[in-house]
Order: sequence, then C-alpha cells, then structure tokens
Amino acid sequence: MRVRKMLFVMLAALVLISCGGTKQADVIKVGWFGALTGDQAVWGNNEYKTVQMLFEEMNAAGGIKVGDKTYKLEVIGYDNKGDAQEAVNVVRRLTSQDKVVAILGPNASGNAIPIAPILEAAKVPDIATVATNPKVTVLDGKVKPYNFRVCFIDPYQGAVAAGYAYDVLGARKAAVLYDVADDYSQGLREFFNQNFKAKGGQIVADESFKFGDVDFRPQLSKIKASNTDIIFMPYFFKEVALSANQARELGITQPMMGGDGWPSEQLISMGGAAVEGCYFVNHLDYEDPDVADYKARYKKKYGVDTELNGYLVHDAVLMLVEGLKIAGKVDGEALAKALEKVDFQGITGHVRIDPATHNPTGKDAAILKIINGQYVFQQKYAAK
Amino acid sequence: MAQFLQQIVNGLSIGSVYALMAVGYSLVYSIMNFSNFAHGGVIMFGAYFGFFAMTLLKLPFLAAFALSFTGTALLALLIERIAYKPLRERRAPFLYFIISAMGASIFLENIVIATIGPTFRTYPKVFSRTAIALGSIAVGRLDLIMFFVSAISLALLVLFIEKTKMGKAIQASAYNMKAAALMGVNTDQIVMIVFILGGILAGIAGVFFGMKYTVYPQIGNITTKSFVAAVFGGLGSLPGAVLGSVLLGIIETMVAGYLSSQFRDLIAFVILIAVLVFRPSGIMGKISEEKA
Repeated sequence: MRVRKMLFVMLAALVLISCGGTKQADVIKVGWFGALTGDQAVWGNNEYKTVQMLFEEMNAAGGIKVGDKTYKLEVIGYDNKGDAQEAVNVVRRLTSQDKVVAILGPNASGNAIPIAPILEAAKVPDIATVATNPKVTVLDGKVKPYNFRVCFIDPYQGAVAAGYAYDVLGARKAAVLYDVADDYSQGLREFFNQNFKAKGGQIVADESFKFGDVDFRPQLSKIKASNTDIIFMPYFFKEVALSANQARELGITQPMMGGDGWPSEQLISMGGAAVEGCYFVNHLDYEDPDVADYKARYKKKYGVDTELNGYLVHDAVLMLVEGLKIAGKVDGEALAKALEKVDFQGITGHVRIDPATHNPTGKDAAILKIINGQYVFQQKYAAK
Repeated sequence: MAQFLQQIVNGLSIGSVYALMAVGYSLVYSIMNFSNFAHGGVIMFGAYFGFFAMTLLKLPFLAAFALSFTGTALLALLIERIAYKPLRERRAPFLYFIISAMGASIFLENIVIATIGPTFRTYPKVFSRTAIALGSIAVGRLDLIMFFVSAISLALLVLFIEKTKMGKAIQASAYNMKAAALMGVNTDQIVMIVFILGGILAGIAGVFFGMKYTVYPQIGNITTKSFVAAVFGGLGSLPGAVLGSVLLGIIETMVAGYLSSQFRDLIAFVILIAVLVFRPSGIMGKISEEKA
C-alpha cells in the first residue's frame, strides 16, 4: 500500500514537472561538456562559467530572436572528467535525455574526436573550443557534418611553432618531448617535426612520456645530451611545469616552446622560474583591446581571471547565436547547415567557417613569451 | 658516460619514490594478505596536510611534516576501523577487502575534489631548486633529502619490527594470524599498529611528493607503479619492496634513456612479467598461495 502511495506521489510530481516544462517552451537548451574535475578542471570550469555568464546576459537583454520568435537560452553542463569514454556518455545523455539543440565544448581533441557518431545519429551539432587536432572535424578526408570549432588547428599551430623557432629564434636543432597517449600532443609533434625539417632544421631528440607520468628526467637527460637549440613541449601546463622544473634541475638552459596547452594561471605558479623566457603559440594576445571587455566582465562576476578557454567558448557562443539566426528555427539539422555559413567578428578574430573542413579560416596565431611571470605578446605570426 | 651516470641517479631517485610507497603496501599485505589500494589516497591526504599546515597555519617545515604524518596515521587507522574491521570480523573473502579498499580510495579522491577543489597547489619553497652539480651530473637537493629520509624511516621501521616485542608480535601475526592469536597476541591491536605505521609512511611520502610533483587530488595515482614494484620485489617483504622499487626505477630509466621512451612501459613491464613467470612470489616474497 505504501509503495503504491509513493508511486502515485511520484507520478503526480512528474506530471507537474512536465506541465511546468511546457509552460516555458520558448527556451533553447544548449549542452556543454568538459572537465569540471581532474587535471583540466581549471579550463572546464572557466568555459562553463563563461557560457553561464553570456547566457545570463543575453537572457537579461531579452533573449535572442530566431525566426520570428524570441527565445531564452539555457545551458545544461556535464563533467566528463577529461575522459574520452565519459565524453561519449555525456553527449549521449545531452542528445537523448536533455534534447539539446547544440553542444558547446569540449576543449580537448581527444574528447572531441570520439563523439562524432553520436552527434550524427542525433543530428545535433557541436562547436569545440580549443580542440585543435584536424581529426575533430575531418576524418579520412571527409568533413564530419556535425562537428565544428572556433580555433585554428594543429598543423597550423605546429607550422607556426616550427617557423618561429627556425626563422625568428634562429634555432637549427630542436628536441621534442611529447605525450604519446594524447592525440593533441601527437599531432603537434608531428606537424612541428615536419615543418622544422622542411625548413632545413634537424630534430635531434624525439622523446615521449605517457599521460599520468610525473617524472621526465630519463627523457630530459637524453635531450640534454643532444645539444639542442630549443625544446618543443606540446602538452598541457601541469606536465609542462613539472618537466620544465626537472629540466632546469638537470642543468638544461635552452629555451622551451609550446602550444596552446600552456597558457594558464597555474603554469606560472607551478613552473615559476623554470618557464621564464619560454615561448608558446596562442590563440590570442591577452592585451588585445578586442578581448578587454569580456575579460573585465568575467573578472567582475567571478572575482578571478579568465583562462584561455573562456575567450574561445565566448566565440563559440557567438557562433551558435549567429547559426541560429541564419537557420531561422530551433533545429539541430538546420543549425548544422547554418553554421557552415557563419561569418562574424569574434573577440579572438574574424570567424568564417570553411564548409569543406568546418574550421575557421585565416586566424592568426599570437606568439607569447613568459617574462617576469607575465605573458608578454611578441608578435602575430602566420605560417606560410 | 656522463649521461649513463645521470640516468643511474635518475633511476635511483625515481626508485626511492616508488620505495617509499611500496613499503606501505607491503607492510599491510604482510599482515592482512590483501593490497590496500587506499594507500594512495592516504598519501594524497599527507600531501594536503603538509601543504595546508605550511600555508594556512604557517608552521615551519618540520612541524608541518610531523603534523602531516600524525594526520595520515589517524586517517589510515580510521579507514581500517570503518572499511576493513567489519569485514575482518565477518571473515569476508579477500576480494571484499580489495573492493572495500578501492571504494575508500575513490572516496578519498572525490572528497578532496568536492571540498578543496581540483586545482594544483605548489608547496612553499623549503629546499633550493638548484641541483648539486657533480661534474656534469646533477643531483637534486630534494631527491637527496628524500633518499635519506626514506632510508632512515625504513631503517627505523625494520628496527622496530626486528627488535621490539611489538615487532615480534607483528612478525608472528604475519606468519600466522590465527596461531599468533592463540598464543595470546592481541591481533586486532597488531592490525591497528600496522595501519598506523603504514599511515606514517604515507604521510612522509605525501609531503615529499607534494614538494616534488605539486599537490593535486590524483597524486595518489603514482602508487600504481609502486604497487607493481612491491609485487615485483615480493609482496609482504619489506626489503623486497625496496629492492623491487629501485630496480623498477632503474629499468624504466634505462629503457627510456637507451632504448625508446615510447616503449618504456611496454618493455619495463614485459621484464616484470618475465620475472614473475619464473619467480611468482617476486624477488624476495614469502611463499603464499593466496595472493590478492
């Protein structure tokens, strides 16, 4: 009898909830996922908070107009712990259970690559933020219809790093340390090596570690013996800080260089003097006037500085809104077609999506150098 | 040649990291016959205890160090009381202990993520980061201190087990818990003491790891390798755990330095499996049918 009573109450509650749902039909549900816990939680939290802030602002301004109706935006965010398997699970949940019209994130290529089949089955487009591996949007020469991104890609980033190291820094010999278990790191290393060699440089050491490692001294000792001019470290800030500290401890004095996995407030606090004078390729210059407004709004709302990811997810949100306006209706399939046509000025540069690759075309890279614990803009650099 | 010596130094240093953890595993294994996977979580807490003692309470390093291993000793004891004692009393199969240990380990990691947060924290500077240069070989100060502190604490542990009455009781219980109980040894007390000792070792390891590799909730994951080292050396044998750890550190370093860093784990673990095929009880392990 008690069980039945409880069932009845639950049923009644369900009916009530679903009634409530139909009342606010003019809401567009947008999914977000990324790492809210684990190594990359700093970036995930930053992205999620930025999306929440932007949606709140847009809703406060009356919402957005799609077709002839005005909608409010709602974000449903899940933590995938930076794990590829979890990424597949949360995307399944977002598409089948929460019925979102589009998904923002993730930041990591390794998490963005495996979700394509689910997106295609559910006809829900995804806009990745800092996932720079080519395979995120293109597989075997064919563009994935529901995967998009707002950042430049690894071949470009690798070419920029190699070009800057060779042409501007004058390096002729380069050593590479990379994460063998990570698509992003593998890709950057490949394109750096290719371009550096094409320019006439020599790769004198090509060493790897595995995600989760905390000691890099065996590989670094080998790099030390190679008499390199520069060390390329295409992986994320935690390992960068640990390996940089260990390199300096071993007496390695050469400058180090990395990609967009570097910039983080924590790189400076963890790496300290070891990363002084090092260079990395970034999506933007933090002092650019275009980003100042967002930076200040974020700081005001949350009391902390935004990370790199926030800027990119900001433009992913703009891209989504542009896409919805072009589509004229709230429908995943129509939105995916519309996203191929977007053309707008974001804070990280002009975003024009190439329908053949779903990548933004012609975004410049910025070279930053760490001086006195600050990211100091060196120059905009475009690889030829 | 310089590179070879540097790699030996690297290997010894990595090995001593493993050893500090492996001994904690082996100690509990020798009494309870199961692998205490919660050990990594206790080490992580040790790192946090030390960090907060130094930053929030502004304690000097040695006081923070002592506070940390007192804290982890209590924590290890608490885990024993909550997660293992009920199982012991019901004479549950060993598998249940392992599951309970994994549960405790996941709980510890997640409670830190949920309360303190997942960010990385850097210890205040205690020892200089510049290495001591011996010719072209660099020896880290922290590594050197860590090496000596772990050697001293392991020596004290062995002394305690070999020379004191309580140590004799631990040895007897390790040999045969039931028979020791029949001889009037309070085995429940012995288990508590073993967990306290394991907790102290975890606290020491935690503070050093925190200083060396920064503090974050997943820092306990390094224990996977040290668990392998403990099996390699012979689970249940303290000298075996040390030997296994140092060997694993050197094998890993040599493979990465001279063969291929891409295949490091592959080659290192094939060597380990080969050793275990010929010596299933590890290099110095006690002979036991029930390994878990």
